[in-house]
Amino acid sequence: MLTESQMNSIGKPDMKTRKATHSQLRLQNRQLLLRAVYTGLANSRVDLAHTSGLAKPTVSDLISELIDEGYLIEIGLGQSTDEGGKRPRLLEFVPDARHVIGVSVSGKRILGVLANLDGRVLVRHEQKLNGAQGQIVIDLLSNVINGLIAQLSAPLLCIGIGVSGLIDPQKGIVRLAPLLGWKEIRLAEIISRKYHIPTYVANSTELAAMAQFAFGQTDANSLVTILVNDSVGVGAVLDNGQYHSGSELNQLQVVSTDGSKRVLETFLGWSSVRQRTEAIIAPYLDSLLIGDELTYLHLRQAILDEQPDALAFQEELAEYLAQICSWVIMLMRPEHISLAGTISNMGQPLLDCVIDKTRELVQPDLLETITFSVDTSLHLVPLGAVAHTLQKELGLI
Amino acid sequence: MPTLATIIGPPNVYQSAVIAGIESVTTEQGYEMRLFAGDERDHVLETPDLSGVLVVVNTASDALLGTIKRAGLPISLIAHQVPHLPIPVVMSNNPEGIAALMQHLVVKCKCRAPVFVRGLIVQNDAIERERAFRQELIHYHLRVPESHYLRGDFEPDIAADSIRQFVASGISFDAVVVSDYMMAIAVTQALRAAGCAVPGQVSVVGFGDAPEAEAAGLTTVAANILELGASAARQLISQINGVQITGVTMLGVRLVVRETSCPE
Repeated sequence: MLTESQMNSIGKPDMKTRKATHSQLRLQNRQLLLRAVYTGLANSRVDLAHTSGLAKPTVSDLISELIDEGYLIEIGLGQSTDEGGKRPRLLEFVPDARHVIGVSVSGKRILGVLANLDGRVLVRHEQKLNGAQGQIVIDLLSNVINGLIAQLSAPLLCIGIGVSGLIDPQKGIVRLAPLLGWKEIRLAEIISRKYHIPTYVANSTELAAMAQFAFGQTDANSLVTILVNDSVGVGAVLDNGQYHSGSELNQLQVVSTDGSKRVLETFLGWSSVRQRTEAIIAPYLDSLLIGDELTYLHLRQAILDEQPDALAFQEELAEYLAQICSWVIMLMRPEHISLAGTISNMGQPLLDCVIDKTRELVQPDLLETITFSVDTSLHLVPLGAVAHTLQKELGLI
Repeated sequence: MPTLATIIGPPNVYQSAVIAGIESVTTEQGYEMRLFAGDERDHVLETPDLSGVLVVVNTASDALLGTIKRAGLPISLIAHQVPHLPIPVVMSNNPEGIAALMQHLVVKCKCRAPVFVRGLIVQNDAIERERAFRQELIHYHLRVPESHYLRGDFEPDIAADSIRQFVASGISFDAVVVSDYMMAIAVTQALRAAGCAVPGQVSVVGFGDAPEAEAAGLTTVAANILELGASAARQLISQINGVQITGVTMLGVRLVVRETSCPE
């Protein structure tokens, strides 16, 4: 929920940027008012003028515009003030005024969601990549977007895309995504030209954190998401959403439990975890019948069965995750840390292990104010892409 | 008038709802819909003014699907997947639905010994729901012996027989997760007839919702079957308009708690 101080921060001029033009100022004020209604801070023109400090005619003008565009509706009359006077006309945000597409492109699959402005997922669309690379992935990405557009029941506001790799979010360029065979791909431009819709591209881990901040269970003003799928990354949202960033840590050199030095990917990336898991569960793989592919759930089953190798492997995974946690805590002091991605299928037992080991690495009192969670959501990155676009286009997050 | 062909199987409640959903879109978009069942299916490509084909579950062979695809006709599958054919699919989100049911049973109702009644195991929905059930067991650290997976085949009579035999075996259980709502209604009736209190002794949950499920007070996940048909029709018409779509569109589901399990 937005506080008044956060609300005020939207209106503050950024001294580093150029002097705002009239249209920029109008856009900023419009976003300020829309966000106030969206977050429940104000629900009438009088309230909005009072809360925002804007002149009543300015508020009336902008609210009329937002009503005309369908973002707000009038829902009746409120109570008049103690001093009497006209009863205010109450305003309500319309979550289905527009729909937004959020997509995650990872090494294995493309997963898209069609969501409304509240972040409610209406439809999902999934496309496996089966080793596809380069232009084929871009074509398949279009196929996914097409599949979601086919189900639209409101005008499409924008498209957000999360990619595992090195991204320039300002320009919407994928600098490097080795798993996809992408290098210097102007993805935002390609997609926005094709669909004539504003398109934003960001790093997947950053978006995972954005999803938790915007639509998750936590009320934290600063949070970090450790996302472990094929690759390993950390996303952060700090200062109540004012700052957000994320990056893969695959190539980070870490010291292994046997004292050798290797990149983090070789310990936590799924391809190496899978090799270890195959060996651990081989004796009873046929009896598990969980699915076609080996997953973290197989490993979790072995841990539940108290297989010594599986328990030892869980401890090992926790060691590396604890190293990430301790760095994150020392550098950012987040209020909340979440473990997400496919590794979340290991559940609370792994998280408990990680917390215990983190406690050994940082001063114990630093952990007292931090909450931890496991997020098993399958569409965290696409939903984060939705949150990111809502922040960019409407200033709602 | 341009025509959409819909390949269907023997009549049932589920299929009727899917067809109604398809019609709601085709009528609005100015298409005529023709249904093909039995031997007629092999002649679907001979339909005059044929613009595209919808296939309800596994009612067309892989060979026929391949023939339609090779003919260059737009085609969409409903609740069915053929991994080696690049045909787009529309289906309910089975893992999400089973996860919601299991959370309700395990967390709210404190059930620890569930039984699973399978659908027809050649159908995609049946396979996905059973797989999701098994995955949820790991999440909640539950063990269910193979003997607790009962035959149902999406046939209420078969499901009822299976649960009667299971009750007669004397094995203890506290919940039944059933792969569709019609079987779940039959299972509930069979349990009550056998003297088991539902939900006092055993909770029963199904998958999918309809007036029959509501009348029976069944706890289930509402997979909007009308919307499934409508979404498939929209996907097909997009393809007819020249839009390239591959992959799987999944529609959300919603837990509906009624009288066959503990209150939410």
